[in-house]
Amino acid sequence: MKNKGKIAAVLLLSLSIMLSGCKVTTKNEVSEVPAPTEGTETAADNSAVDIELLGMSANEADLNIVRDQLSKNGFNVKLNIQADYGTFKAQQDAGNYDIALSSWTTVTGNPDYAVRSLFKTGGDYSILADSEIDALIDEAAAQTPEQFKETYKKFEEQLVFEKAYIAPLYNSLKAQAFNQEVLNKDSVRISKSRSLPWEELDFNDTSKRASEALVLQSTMPTLTSLDPIKGNDGSINIINTNMYVRLVNLTDDDKITSEGSLSLNHAIAEGNSEYYFILRDDINFAQIKDKLAVDTGERVGADDVIFSLNRAKDKNSVPDHRTYTLHEHIQNVELVTDVATLESIKVSGSSETVKAALEKGLDSKISSLVADKTQADNAGGKYQVVKLTTTTPFPQVLNYLAHQSAGIVSKKQVEAINTYDVATFDVNKDIPYGDQNTVTEGSQYNNTLYTSGPYILSYKNDYEAIFYKNPGYMKGTEHEPRINNIKIRFIKDADSSLSALRSGEIHLYYGVSETKYDVVKGDSKLALQTIPSNAVSYLLFNTKNRPVAESADLRKAVLYSINQDEILAYYAGNKFKATSTLSPLVQTGLELKADSAKVKEFLNAYKASK
Amino acid sequence: MTNPSLTKQEVGFRLKSCPEYGQASFAGIVTIALAVVLLLNSYQTATGTFKSGVLAVSVAYFVFALLQLAVWRLIRRDLVRAGEIKGSTRALGYVLMLSLLTANVFVATAAFQLVKRKKNAAYTLAVYALLTTVLVFAVTAFNLYKPYVANGFLPGMFLLIATAVLQLIALILTALFADRTVLPGWMAVVAGVLILTAATGNLFALFLGLLLIARLRDKGITSGSKLGDVVERLSRSSTSMLGLLFITFLLTLAITSLMTFDYSFAIDNNYSAILQSPSLTYPLGTDNFGRDLFSRIVFGARISLLVGLLSTLIPVLIGGALGAISGYYGRQTDNIIMRALDVLYAIPGILLAIAIIAAFGASTVNLILALSVGAIPTYARTMRANVMMVSTLEYVQAARAFGASDFSILFKHIVPNSVAPMIVKSSLTIGTAVISTSSLSFLGLGVEPHIPEWGNILKLGSAYLETHAFTAIYPGLAIIALVLSFNFLGDGLRDALDPKLD
Repeated sequence: MKNKGKIAAVLLLSLSIMLSGCKVTTKNEVSEVPAPTEGTETAADNSAVDIELLGMSANEADLNIVRDQLSKNGFNVKLNIQADYGTFKAQQDAGNYDIALSSWTTVTGNPDYAVRSLFKTGGDYSILADSEIDALIDEAAAQTPEQFKETYKKFEEQLVFEKAYIAPLYNSLKAQAFNQEVLNKDSVRISKSRSLPWEELDFNDTSKRASEALVLQSTMPTLTSLDPIKGNDGSINIINTNMYVRLVNLTDDDKITSEGSLSLNHAIAEGNSEYYFILRDDINFAQIKDKLAVDTGERVGADDVIFSLNRAKDKNSVPDHRTYTLHEHIQNVELVTDVATLESIKVSGSSETVKAALEKGLDSKISSLVADKTQADNAGGKYQVVKLTTTTPFPQVLNYLAHQSAGIVSKKQVEAINTYDVATFDVNKDIPYGDQNTVTEGSQYNNTLYTSGPYILSYKNDYEAIFYKNPGYMKGTEHEPRINNIKIRFIKDADSSLSALRSGEIHLYYGVSETKYDVVKGDSKLALQTIPSNAVSYLLFNTKNRPVAESADLRKAVLYSINQDEILAYYAGNKFKATSTLSPLVQTGLELKADSAKVKEFLNAYKASK
Repeated sequence: MTNPSLTKQEVGFRLKSCPEYGQASFAGIVTIALAVVLLLNSYQTATGTFKSGVLAVSVAYFVFALLQLAVWRLIRRDLVRAGEIKGSTRALGYVLMLSLLTANVFVATAAFQLVKRKKNAAYTLAVYALLTTVLVFAVTAFNLYKPYVANGFLPGMFLLIATAVLQLIALILTALFADRTVLPGWMAVVAGVLILTAATGNLFALFLGLLLIARLRDKGITSGSKLGDVVERLSRSSTSMLGLLFITFLLTLAITSLMTFDYSFAIDNNYSAILQSPSLTYPLGTDNFGRDLFSRIVFGARISLLVGLLSTLIPVLIGGALGAISGYYGRQTDNIIMRALDVLYAIPGILLAIAIIAAFGASTVNLILALSVGAIPTYARTMRANVMMVSTLEYVQAARAFGASDFSILFKHIVPNSVAPMIVKSSLTIGTAVISTSSLSFLGLGVEPHIPEWGNILKLGSAYLETHAFTAIYPGLAIIALVLSFNFLGDGLRDALDPKLD
């Protein structure tokens, strides 16, 4: 009797389970529905296929989604997660993967760059060797936007659907959050490809321009190089873009413009092989003295442009040149001193002369062209004009000229610093221009930077980097830098960066992750800016010593396992579908649709061929 | 206070010496706290309304808390007036047992202790054995709200019911007969059945079975077995019994989940159910991949317990053996072994674990090895000290005089008398091992990130702490509860095994 309560409790529970037991559906009953289709002869071999997926721990969510989709489609996924890009790259170079989760951002905003170094035989980052792919890339490069759409469609069909060299995942948003109580909302730009222009940033309280520092954030305290041609990665792209001016810039939606660049105007001559740039006379190089920025008094002119572009395209101009493939289409860069030649040449696809095109919107027309940069006087009609010739007709060259690697350096200064012999360069002895050790606080500090852009790096340590505005940069124009002092705080962890932004420690945080949008939107002092970017994530198949390298069937089985709708659902619609790295730039109309029937078909074909 | 002839000290003594009084106040206060937590949880700040389900549970907790506190008043009155608890007050315990329906183990255990005037270890163990099974059954029953259940769900549930019924019968029988000095012979059958039900992972049933067999074999000749004494003392400490209850509950759940839980809910992404708040289908909500947190935590218990137990057992065995040998033989043997272990001791444990995993890759086996290696020296030191002390005792010298071999002296006479501190130490370090496992997984160095392991779950959840707090709170609570349970148990074991308290 003392256990009546207990008995009642147990009876009640058991009764409820027994009653509900009648209508409980077990897992077998659920999966019985598709059983008839499985019962056909294709169900001969149901063993899971082993596949090794390589990725970085920063992309753990993507890895998990891919793992999940592959294992639901009959793969046995082995994860190889590396802590950072260095170890990831090491694993990739060692070939320890079947598929590697990769990502690519077309920072120049043109489709050629999105395919050339990735997929062409011998490209910087390419592991492919396929003559059909190569031919299509070269064909499209010489075409106009209307023409190349069709070529790139053929290219995607080959790359993704026919041969399945990659399996596309998604195209990302670019997002940045900033403190709108401190920063003027209208001064913060977000562009599809272009790095954030610092010179336009401004405080709400303009009286603080001289006294207060603007604090930005970066994850990497080790800067590859401050010589623009010697680096092309996340540690320096934004920094070098703001330290060196270029011949042209990209607008927020990736159109070419002279606005805010070294050229006042530019023109493409008939035949699409000759490009003309008319230069401004109001930019001087800045240098650092006693850790503060001073005007060198040396003007940025045509000789610097010619020097900079020639060294950019020449593989042997510096040791460890990282960007020459971007500029391999440049044949020659020269000074134009004869006004008559400008008048004799027509602009591509128009009856206008190049001279007229270059003069457009200028206060004083071209009266003479000068060879000496110090003689240039735009108000008096004395200009400098530079002519660039490409190896083949290649209009996309302008996009490459807008890239940070085409930044203009000082001929005088770089030649004075880079006195070593390139062939016998000794990393332990020779100190090249832009070496990060020369700007790092400590015994090796010896800042020899000469920058043509709006800002110059004074010094850095593992905690922060200090920049000052170039006192000789477009003075009195709308492009003159507003804020005197900019700091970059190095914070490795994304969550810590966001916390720093929210606490007011930093003012702008570039690269907010999709899962944190809600947090930013929920904070009234923060503003979130997003824009579709050129960043695409995809799975790259190994091309050596693995079953995926030989079997297109196996690759296609992986390809059709990828369900982009699920990825979009995970990111709450903050990602877009992609078909290849071209997707953000060219609308080819192709789309990858997940299809488990095809997966089964290709897997069976693969198993049969084994 | 009502009896003026009693001094304050006398009242205090009466109250202190009555365990039911302490248990009643503990259960009442904990239940009130839980009720307040539930009430706060049921309030939705966004709409200003209450969630009816959570509110109902909260009200039920308040009701039982008030009842429990009323009973506590009655016990106090009885003790002050008569020096003992009246039968009518004890009968109220049956009402309080109903609190089990709200999964309130605090009030329920206090109620079971209250209804029985003369308690013994067998009764306590029987109560906890049954409680464990009922709780596991109730938790497993949540699977009914899922779209489908595991294939072994129904047979598993019936087995659980059968186990519960058998344990209930055992409880009634022990309540009626365990007080006798000599147990009736058929109790052997009961013991056998209980040990059989321990196959679900029910440690209480196992201990009870062993205890009953020990008493049967003893036939009332001696004052009681050593195991009986230990269990007797341990069962008097309600915190360590609650700790053991949670551990046994998790162990049983981990074992029965082989049949009753479906792994796909824990590991397959479900993009239509991303970050759902707790509901009947998803009792603890879902994570950012739409996986059921409830299933993940249940399956995570398996890894946490396995890694925790194994990474403690391995150093206990290796360290214990090394310590025993070095303490018994002394001199060069001692010097060589202990200096070698000192070198190992000088390397920080968690760093060593990180280095091992970085070198050999992240997997469960490597994780266990990594955590084990670093813990060997401390066990060796503990064992060595005990062996050195015990080996000077008279009975060891006597065994030596009889010509017993070193091996039999060491492992028959010395080691069994030196293990008590090792048991206490290991029960405390299991908690540390569980935390280390979770920490390493949190750092991305443990098991693969999609595997449901508490550290992994917590890591994913920590990114949503602000927007979807439940994803981090539940795995965090699970880790806290398990570690706390092992610490409580270790504390109780230390008291129970302490010869000075004899």
